[in-house]
Amino acid sequence: MKLRKKMIALLTAVACTVPAVAFTAACDGGAGDHQFTVLAVKEATVKDYNEMPVFKKLNEETGKDVHWTFKTSSQYSQNSDPVSTRGIDAIYHAGFSNLQLSNYGKRKRIVAIDEHLNAMPNFKRILDSRPDIKEALKSPDGHIYSLPRVEEMGLKQYPNILFINKTWIEKLIDSNNLPANVSLEKSDLVDGLDLSRAQFKSLLQKFNSVDMDGDGKAGNASGNEIPLAYVSGNWQGNESDLIASFGVPENIEHKTIVNGQVKFTVEDEKWFNAFQELNGWYSEGLIRATNYTRDQDEFLAYGQDGRYGAFYWWEKETVVKKDLHDDYIIVLPLKDDDGNRYVGVSNELEVEKSECVVLSTCKDVDGLLAYFDKFFEADYSAQLNYGSIESGAFKAEKENGMLIPNDDHGNQSADDFRMQNAPYGVVYLTDEVWDKTVKMESRAKTRLNRLKDYVKPYTYTGATNIPNLNYSESELKDLSTYEMSLGGNIRTQMMRWLQSNSAPQKSEWTKFLSDNKASIDKIKEINQNAYNRYLEALK
Amino acid sequence: MGDENVKIDSESIEKMTDEEYELMYDAAAEQRSGAAGIATASYAANKPLTKFDRWKMNFKRRGWILLFILPALIYVLIFCYGPMYGILIAFQDYMPGDQILGPNTFWVGWENFQTFFANPNFVDFFLNTFLLCIFGFLVGFPLPIIVALLLNSLPRPKIKKGLQILYYAPHFISLVVMVGMLKMIFGSDGLLDSLSAKMGGDANGLQLFLKPESFRPLFIFSGNWQDFGWSAIIYLAALAGVDPSLHEAAKVDGASRFKRIFSVDLPAIAPTIIMLMILSVGNLMSCGYEKVLLMQTDGNLETSEILSTYVYKFGLMGGQYGVGTAAGLFNSVINVVLLIIANTVSKKISGNSMW
Repeated sequence: MKLRKKMIALLTAVACTVPAVAFTAACDGGAGDHQFTVLAVKEATVKDYNEMPVFKKLNEETGKDVHWTFKTSSQYSQNSDPVSTRGIDAIYHAGFSNLQLSNYGKRKRIVAIDEHLNAMPNFKRILDSRPDIKEALKSPDGHIYSLPRVEEMGLKQYPNILFINKTWIEKLIDSNNLPANVSLEKSDLVDGLDLSRAQFKSLLQKFNSVDMDGDGKAGNASGNEIPLAYVSGNWQGNESDLIASFGVPENIEHKTIVNGQVKFTVEDEKWFNAFQELNGWYSEGLIRATNYTRDQDEFLAYGQDGRYGAFYWWEKETVVKKDLHDDYIIVLPLKDDDGNRYVGVSNELEVEKSECVVLSTCKDVDGLLAYFDKFFEADYSAQLNYGSIESGAFKAEKENGMLIPNDDHGNQSADDFRMQNAPYGVVYLTDEVWDKTVKMESRAKTRLNRLKDYVKPYTYTGATNIPNLNYSESELKDLSTYEMSLGGNIRTQMMRWLQSNSAPQKSEWTKFLSDNKASIDKIKEINQNAYNRYLEALK
Repeated sequence: MGDENVKIDSESIEKMTDEEYELMYDAAAEQRSGAAGIATASYAANKPLTKFDRWKMNFKRRGWILLFILPALIYVLIFCYGPMYGILIAFQDYMPGDQILGPNTFWVGWENFQTFFANPNFVDFFLNTFLLCIFGFLVGFPLPIIVALLLNSLPRPKIKKGLQILYYAPHFISLVVMVGMLKMIFGSDGLLDSLSAKMGGDANGLQLFLKPESFRPLFIFSGNWQDFGWSAIIYLAALAGVDPSLHEAAKVDGASRFKRIFSVDLPAIAPTIIMLMILSVGNLMSCGYEKVLLMQTDGNLETSEILSTYVYKFGLMGGQYGVGTAAGLFNSVINVVLLIIANTVSKKISGNSMW
């Protein structure tokens, strides 16, 4: 009996323990029998790279056998250590932060590409001819650990254009209901409409109080009509240029370079003045809370039927549906009381640093890098960026040696076509390429012209963006601490001022500045030093 | 067995039956506490048994029972103590893929802690965490006790059962759905703001999710609405153990229902209350980050950024694992200190404690 009791106890103990300690190790590490395997971050809607004509041609021309495997961006982002993925030689669309690149480099888990430049004639030529790109790519230890994406069109520096609903203004003209300080004829309603901020505000008030969409309810009652829409803090279509109209070179990072000096716009009293004014706009409902809670997709979905009185966006064509495109016209940057116009410059960069990294476990680094080097050739860059010639992204015949984009994709929209057929990633497309080998697609051309006519001329004098700077390791760590803290504080303060029941007091602004003085000074100092080094290196 | 000079050695113990062993054990216990009795006389050894002797005797005889705690012990060792070596990351410049103890580990000493404490918002994060948790505790701790006492004094068991189910049903709503519901009711475009717009309020409505001052109430009350019924179950179980004769006696003495709650029910569950209080004080600084993260908006960041969301954002998303671990370790140390304080105080005041 005693024995039986003991046995039962023992068995129970064992039975309970086994599942806890027994781990199943199911991992297949087979890389297949390909010469190279590259992991690419790709959404399911994009076609299989292995089937894309451009990659087939690349394999053929370089004589390499490169096989692609895929992870969606959500799968990829869940992996905290993508470099340890088994059986791969490189990661395409790696998207590492500066700190990650430097950390992996320091641990020698990714290849220092600058040590293999002999295998990469194209990349070497680029680095030699463009010291700014070379400088941008360097890690704190002076090595280059990643292949860049360079797409220079001059579009990203100005991510906002202000559009206004022409038909709504026409309605106001027809019903003789224009605000007192606005005198417009229907013939005035063309791209480049000239409005002061006060006039713009009066128009928005009309949009808010009059039933513009004809559903029997005024905008502020039904919530259907939104006087002024944007997506706060988004990289495109944000409120920066609205704030800039008060006389500061605002962008979403609130920092910019003016005449060689790194500046924080929040330190400028004009930045604070903007919120004193916009607080009123918010409480009147001209700016809605939804501008701060909706994301880009929600913004786009809501705008399709032309419910926005005015909006900031990259281009109007994505915001409203096709038959309403003509309903919106471009407004020049808003004039302030003295008749001046200001536009800030965004820090969105045209050189993206970590598009592709090669792992140090790769057996033939030179071979793989020679393959990637082909990506920098204009013809391949263009196809990677827009889709293969064979798939119809470009016309089969070149004109005067130039690739001509094919705008007609049957039932598919240009966006959808590109989304499916273009792998993006490592490309090198600059002015030289646009001039000689690839014709710019018409949408980009249109936007470039719009910027040239209606936005760029009004850039805040002396303002430039902060280029890709080369920070030291300790600077990178300090930046990540202070930027996260300051970024959050600025957002909070902006929301607080917008929503407060009375116009914000100047004392609140000075207190905000003194509370954040440490962060502001530190970030400015780090960026200024890095910028000075950058200028030095370019000499 | 009548022999007065039975020598107790391992051999004789082996030969005993279970009953004899029990007798002998009791006798040994009495002998040690100084009580004299017949058993002592018959089993008194040549020299008195030491504590270790008795432990040895016991282990030989009943040691196998210890096997029952083996699974729990192994579980705790593997899943609770095993991963603890990870706190070493707090003293390293770590990134996933590194060895935690190896020749290539980058040791940085207290640097991560310095980075964390030097964060300009450190005090804010700390206060936010503390206030959110302490308010949550002040509301959330007494609520289930009150509910349990009230439910228990309901005369009809059917109503009691029904109400109980009604109260604990929200516990099964998942966190994400819960926050989704909150946003649909209190968020922008939500029920509340649509109603206020319809009734002629201003176009932007209340926007409770964008207001820093409404974050804590929303968080705490939604959390308690979800969990007060569930937490009350343990008190109801304790109340079920109250001897009905106590109630009957109190009734005879003319005690009102209210009086009976205070003089019979409450003292009966006091030890449970104190034990649970010590446990929740030990968790005071850790109110789960998931719900906070889900409820965060740019507008309420001022009150909704707490230590654990900082660990998540800065440590995990920002790739600064060392600093994240340091912050987490700091949080745990505070929790341990609070636990010790709560336990000591309760030991002094009520005599109930965990150790």
